[in-house]
Amino acid sequence: MADSLLSYITLAMILFSLGLLGVISRKNIFIIYMSIELMLNAINLIFVSVGRYYESIEPQVIAMVIIAIAAAEAAVFLSLIVVMYRRKKTLNSDIFTVLSQKDSNE
Amino acid sequence: MIDIVFVVLAFFAVSGGVGMILFAQPIYSALSLIMTILALAGIFALLSAPFLFMLQIILYAGAIITLLLFIIMFLNIQSDNLPEEPHKKSTIVVGAILLVPFNILILKAFYTLPNKPMHILGDNFGSISLFGTELFRGWLVPFELISILLLTALVGAVVLARKDK
Repeated sequence: MADSLLSYITLAMILFSLGLLGVISRKNIFIIYMSIELMLNAINLIFVSVGRYYESIEPQVIAMVIIAIAAAEAAVFLSLIVVMYRRKKTLNSDIFTVLSQKDSNE
Repeated sequence: MIDIVFVVLAFFAVSGGVGMILFAQPIYSALSLIMTILALAGIFALLSAPFLFMLQIILYAGAIITLLLFIIMFLNIQSDNLPEEPHKKSTIVVGAILLVPFNILILKAFYTLPNKPMHILGDNFGSISLFGTELFRGWLVPFELISILLLTALVGAVVLARKDK
């Protein structure tokens, strides 16, 4: 079972689908952020297992790049959540629509 | 033996993911996500990527999710700050059914690849020295771009999070 590429890909697709379900079904902005992290992890798993299949080290480098990008994303996303929470006192993701409006200083 | 390890790790990964999208409190979701990430670190070790195994534990579980937990605790969220999610379960069920064809498509694409044994490779595959050589030979420009991206994110986070005048 651990010998075939397909079982790793199946696990990665299950995790990716769970992440996608979290993004489309939840309104809590923290859960949406965590679902994005889960999807990034699933993609990492696909990269690493395909890299093991072809015995190449390059996908592992790509996975490291993805981890670094996730770290950068975490910093900006979480500071944005902190700012919005201080202003509106809610974690509803709908409040982020004010970011797209011209006059957001209510 | 490896099969048992894989099944246990996959079980923990999937149950952590399911818990993450079902819990109402963000703190429980974050703890479930840590479980998923640690299980994925073990799976990276099974795929002969020891450096990524360490990176996943140190960077993901140790830095990113800890930052997330810190922010969740720092905000002191009461239960009336949480958004109402009346259609959560029905959306999850409908979405899961809609995602089945997509998953079948991806798995069919991978099914056509010839079967190859995936045992753990010895001879330094995935070790830090091989990884670093590949990183600084073929991936130097992306590496420098990541440094710039991290610097930009750092500046952006500081600018966003400072107190309003």
